[in-house]
Amino acid sequence: MKALFLLIASLLLFSCKENTAEKELPSDSIFHLTTQWQDQHKQSYQLDALRGKTLVVVMIYTSCKATCPLLVADMKKIEKQIKPDYLDKTSLVLVTIDPETDTSEHLAEFAKTGGMDAPHWVFLRSDEAATQEFANVLSMKYKKISPIDFSHSNIISVFNPDGELILQEEGTGINAGKVAGKVNEAVKGS
Amino acid sequence: MKSRLIHIVILSAAIWCISCERQEAAPGAAPLALHAGEISSKVKMVLIPGGEYQPFYGADTTPVKVKPFLIDERPVTNGEFLEFVKANPQWQRSQVKRLYADTNYLRSWVADTLLPRDIHVDAPVTQLSWYAAKAYATAVGKRLPVLDEWELVAMADETVPNARDKKSYSDRIVNLYLVKNRQYNAVKQSPPNYWGVYNFFDLVWEWTDDFNSVLVTGDARSGEYSNDNLFCAGSATSATDVLNYAAFMRFSMRAGLKAHYTVANLGFRCAKDVDE
Amino acid sequence: MTNKPALFLLSVMLVFGACKSHTEQGNASAEKPPAAKMEEAKGAPEEAEITAAPNVPAPVGNRGPKKLIVKLLTTEIEGEIADKKKYTFWTFNNIVPGSFIRVREGDEVEVRLKNDASSVLPHNIDLHAVNGPGGGAEATSAVPGKEETFTFKAMNPGLYVYHCAAPPVPMHIGNGMYGLILVEPAGGLKPVDREYYIMQGEFYTKARENGLLEFDNDKAVSENPDYVLFNGKKGSLLGANMIEAKVGETVRLFVGNGGPNLISSFHVIGEIFDNVYQEGGTAVTHNVQTTIIPAGGSAIVEFRVDVPGEYVLVDHSLSRAFNKGAIGKLKVTGEENPKVFKKGGL
Repeated sequence: MKALFLLIASLLLFSCKENTAEKELPSDSIFHLTTQWQDQHKQSYQLDALRGKTLVVVMIYTSCKATCPLLVADMKKIEKQIKPDYLDKTSLVLVTIDPETDTSEHLAEFAKTGGMDAPHWVFLRSDEAATQEFANVLSMKYKKISPIDFSHSNIISVFNPDGELILQEEGTGINAGKVAGKVNEAVKGS
Repeated sequence: MKSRLIHIVILSAAIWCISCERQEAAPGAAPLALHAGEISSKVKMVLIPGGEYQPFYGADTTPVKVKPFLIDERPVTNGEFLEFVKANPQWQRSQVKRLYADTNYLRSWVADTLLPRDIHVDAPVTQLSWYAAKAYATAVGKRLPVLDEWELVAMADETVPNARDKKSYSDRIVNLYLVKNRQYNAVKQSPPNYWGVYNFFDLVWEWTDDFNSVLVTGDARSGEYSNDNLFCAGSATSATDVLNYAAFMRFSMRAGLKAHYTVANLGFRCAKDVDE
Repeated sequence: MTNKPALFLLSVMLVFGACKSHTEQGNASAEKPPAAKMEEAKGAPEEAEITAAPNVPAPVGNRGPKKLIVKLLTTEIEGEIADKKKYTFWTFNNIVPGSFIRVREGDEVEVRLKNDASSVLPHNIDLHAVNGPGGGAEATSAVPGKEETFTFKAMNPGLYVYHCAAPPVPMHIGNGMYGLILVEPAGGLKPVDREYYIMQGEFYTKARENGLLEFDNDKAVSENPDYVLFNGKKGSLLGANMIEAKVGETVRLFVGNGGPNLISSFHVIGEIFDNVYQEGGTAVTHNVQTTIIPAGGSAIVEFRVDVPGEYVLVDHSLSRAFNKGAIGKLKVTGEENPKVFKKGGL
């Protein structure tokens, strides 16, 4: 009788726990997005798979010659200033605005050549609608100006482990220390 | 005693099952999911034949090709949006996620499913975000117009498809823009344009699908817009028609928007591909 | 026998003298120090005092750099422009010109620009005192109902124009979206008895059916205004609205020119400017009768009033003063001063 009661109680608790977790997601969290993404290892998932990590996010495309290389350099600068033992609680996420050219293989290659193959580097692609929606979540602007070229704004964004936007820096040559500081703060508090 | 125990077991199992079910129904279902809460739209759509047009902002003078498309003859109304939120409660004011709409979402509505008292049910719906407009369009089996499509239709006046060279073209539109509280009037109260499309200028600003493709800096003094640090791609976008003040205002509006913003004089209409 | 101490003293003085003149040379070029080298702004942020023309906020005096918050509301309203006619003004804080902002070099200023929900159009702000892209305009484009914020460090002292830079810019400025921001140097400007804020701007108008006036683009492009006004309204500095001073006082006028197009030839009839901070900058000239104020520029003029009477402020392109409204008055009261001025002969 007691065992049965305990069994039922624990089952109820289990379901309760999951419910609470769902309820705790803040109203403005990006983890509400239900779009499907593919990373450089061909894994498919929704963004909430990254929940629990502090995210540093930028949108680029690999064939960009102008400012994207600078943005990538900024991301690397930020990586260097994040506390080394916080890196496994961080994801540096690069999302492509050119999913047609930037296939998973291409992104994996790009990651490798750029020395960004540690597990905390995530390269994502999705379909055009999801990409556009995500850009809007970041308040990022872009426009396809030729079959291979995009005009786009340059923004690096930081999200806390609950998916709330906590910092945005515009332009290139941003203050990597400031961004890394925010990341360290968010990881510490999580 | 044993039967009581069985009752308890069954009751607890039932409770557990219910809580499981609630879990699944909770927002794992996307607000933008295609088949949730579909409704029908009775708005007449107008066929706009394809064409080439000179975009207002262009790196050079290459005209842009636009494929034929269908566009709603008038903006979506308060009444229609009410129907939508009734069928899609996740888009009601008290339920909407902050990610998808700011705190002024449907601010003037009396309640989640109660329209404002003194505003016409056939006036265009405003104070809604880009995400909400997109969700509506999806629910009625349509989409938002893209900027090029919208601007192509905007070139027309009542008598010709491209009135941009007419001296009075921009002035007339600016006059319409500057009327305060124009968003409270009912749709289709003014003459349609050449295509049979109503209310492009005299009611509300309208969301476009790719409003975030307007890469202008706030600095519009020279008509040239380029800031290589903020924006990638060196092509300066310069306005091709510096006397088209109406277009400047419209693009300036688009450039200042973010997808979750809701504005008192910003609404939308839907479009559709022709080969659907 | 050489006097060693004297020789030593002489050489020390020579070295000292050389050093001194070197420093003076350095000062003459007046380069702004990099922000990192400027004094830190201290203390909790406080709201800056702002005023409507012709009044100005209190002088900054001898204080260190502070953190200040400036709140501006952009609105589109109807107001009287001239001869009981109404015009659709676009404003900063419901006034034309917009509020006068007064800060000190080194201050860190947070500008919160809110666009009233009843506005039809987006608005932004470009302050000429800002070192940064668009003078703030890019960062502050606010659609109706929204507030945008940016922060800048006032690095250069001077009197600067601010205005809306939303496209089409001539229209936004032509409708009255301009004002002045004063950045006082460390130590503050020398105290004077009276300070006033005057801003010239021209208006190009056409009438709707109901008589309400609004911006006329054709007239603006051909630079042919209907009104050239001080402080956005005909008669704003006449009659009961004359600015005042007493005999013997020193008056300082902060004069701006919003344009959008015309240059002003600013003159006070019956007075000579003892000091003119040319174009609102640091160089001072003396004994000036009429000073040029560029469109989108300013000037600070100072003069001591010696004789009672009414002194007429004009744009000395005189058709503007007598036909289009670019005219105001300073009323000076007090004892007559026959040594300086009297009717009749010696």
